[in-house]
Amino acid sequence: MNHLNTLEREAIHIFREVAWQFTKPVILFSGGKDSTVLVHLARKAFYPIGMPFSLLHIDTGHNFPEALSFRDKLVKQFNLKLTINSVQEAITAGTVVDVGGKIPSRNVLQSHTLMKAILTNGFDACIGGGRRDEEKARAKERIFSIRDKNGGWQPYNQRPELWNIYNGMIHEGENVRVFPISNWSELDVWQYVLREDIELPSLYYAHERQCIRYNGKLLAVSEYINIDDTDKIITANVRYRTVGDMTCTAAIESTAKTNEGVIEEIINATVSERGQTRLDDNISDAGMEDRKMKGYF
Amino acid sequence: MDILRFITAGNIDDGKSTLIGRLLFDTGNLKQDVSDSIVNIETNNANLAFITDGLRSEREQGITIDVAYKYFYTSERKYIIIDAPGHLQYTKNLVTGASGADAMIILIDACNGVTEQTRRHALIASFLSIRNIVVAINKMDAVNYEETVFNTIKKNFQNTADSLLLDSVIYVPISALIGDNVFVNSDKIAWYSGDTIMHYLNKFQPPLMPDNIFRFPVQIVSFSNGMYICLGTVVSGIVSVGDVVEISPEKGKAKVINITIGFFDSETAKAGDFACLYLSTINPVEVGDVISHAIDLPICSHEIEAKICWLEETPLNTEMDYYLQINSKDTLCRISIIKHKINPESFHEEDNKTQVSINEFAKVTITTNDMMSFDPFSLIPSTGRAILINTETFYTCAAVIIE
Ligand SMILES: Nc1nc2c(ncn2[C@@H]2O[C@H](COP(=O)(O)OP(=O)(O)O)[C@@H](O)[C@H]2O)c(=O)[nH]1
Repeated sequence: MNHLNTLEREAIHIFREVAWQFTKPVILFSGGKDSTVLVHLARKAFYPIGMPFSLLHIDTGHNFPEALSFRDKLVKQFNLKLTINSVQEAITAGTVVDVGGKIPSRNVLQSHTLMKAILTNGFDACIGGGRRDEEKARAKERIFSIRDKNGGWQPYNQRPELWNIYNGMIHEGENVRVFPISNWSELDVWQYVLREDIELPSLYYAHERQCIRYNGKLLAVSEYINIDDTDKIITANVRYRTVGDMTCTAAIESTAKTNEGVIEEIINATVSERGQTRLDDNISDAGMEDRKMKGYF
Repeated sequence: MDILRFITAGNIDDGKSTLIGRLLFDTGNLKQDVSDSIVNIETNNANLAFITDGLRSEREQGITIDVAYKYFYTSERKYIIIDAPGHLQYTKNLVTGASGADAMIILIDACNGVTEQTRRHALIASFLSIRNIVVAINKMDAVNYEETVFNTIKKNFQNTADSLLLDSVIYVPISALIGDNVFVNSDKIAWYSGDTIMHYLNKFQPPLMPDNIFRFPVQIVSFSNGMYICLGTVVSGIVSVGDVVEISPEKGKAKVINITIGFFDSETAKAGDFACLYLSTINPVEVGDVISHAIDLPICSHEIEAKICWLEETPLNTEMDYYLQINSKDTLCRISIIKHKINPESFHEEDNKTQVSINEFAKVTITTNDMMSFDPFSLIPSTGRAILINTETFYTCAAVIIE
């Protein structure tokens, strides 16, 4: 799998560039497959001296329990340092307001907590698992994406980014989002997971789960959504293609219990990853661009 | 399966977005929800161009401003499409996109022929030494698939290519809209005996990393057990445990005690391996140093002769300091001499030594504070290229090709 070697080499080069260019870089860790792959790549990139990054989890309070227990296990297994900043705390403090409603999404609220974490901890580079094939605004973002004092992305005047030479110079208060697996597709990620034998949360493989149908998508029954009489609770065989909040990530029907099974399913899928599983991107054509300009990952 | 990165360059409305949409569509790489989202409900026409225009103002204006990346697979390889803007004012974005490309598709509208922008695209390909070039002459359907139209444009572009020393340029008459000669050969263009765009893309090879001269730019160093543990990627050649190597610039010798690649020990590391070299030496190794063998050292100097493309609104200023970054080393520098500017129309070297402005090309001498280690780009690309950074704005203000 020659293409995986190329993608891996590119990502490892980026990780090492971050390490010498910044004073306090951090990996944004959600417990999802992309950030788990990031951790694996970072371990590989810095073997034997150890990765010079800690992990940052922006905890929305709407997590899948499986993702949280996976996170804690991973941190212990590889002896990593984890910082958790909670969206619930900001809501309790009254800094941001929960949207409420039937399916209360906290997705946009994350930006505030992320910025606060960056400011209080002095993180000058946040390494994220964003991939360009996920969405149209992401497709245009640089590998080193400069964010202004408010975390905002300025899509119309991005710095030129030439070859694999990365310019991480920033002014006081600015920070950089770094995307080492920008050029990976969902399929590449899974082929890499298979090749490197990377452990992922059980959510990614077929399991039985109680769900409701919401706007045609399968949403897990949880304490975070408000179920009423019109909802029909069904037990389905599902897995997740992406893992975000329980309120904004939909499951897909699946029988794939292994990495090989998942790969086969992706090759045959007729719907794109985010299109199938995200309740929050469809809002408007420019949904992601708007959020990024306001400090989103 | 390997990866090929190609850039599409064309003027506005030449059909670049349509071509990309066509490639994704015909290779079966569009998922249902994405195809649905580009179909105009009122007219029921699929607007293939909407697949790539990502940012809102671009969609509103219907033009591409910045580089967007798209991906597709064939049974042979993974393709990365670098979709870059064509207009002269966005040359800097095109250079960004093209710097990462193994191949370039230059799009020409059969109704318009070769334009100033077409010539600029060719100049960028030549500046960055892109070897695989296809000129796609599009909208053949709009000129009745006339062979003479194709031949005139081909002859015209070949003159440009000749003056830039671009060899083996491939010409394909296509209709991106209808799909002629993109993925399948067209019987409407019977006079054309060549192959489709897809065929040539499948045949192109990404440039091989040089395998004779060893280069290892150091990205991270840690000192432990009396050894320098150096992380980096071998960008050229090969190194083995036991080799005596040289640390540049002018830092003396070291012995390779051990090598790891990923989590495992290895006897050697070759071009393309991200590696860790354990060096025993009395000379401190630092980030940015270049490891090589003593028989073929990189150039170590304060003076660098280079071609540059200026990318910032503020013009080049020979009285100002800049940062020069080569791989993982940066230094303050001055652009001490502007030797020539390159006329974007005639490609001649002009003795015009006045300012170099955005999107202009020039030959310069750069004088650095720190001694730098580098190679001519033509010998080893990875150690032969650099960027200049504005010391106030921190903007990346020039692409540098070392001569
Ligand atoms: N007749 C004809 N029209 C085309 C062809 N390719 C693109 N067009 C049209 O040319 C216009 C510009 O195309 P677009 O792909 O948006 O150009 P871009 O600005 O280069 O991305 C659109 O109206 C297309 O439908 C072609 O092969 N034949």
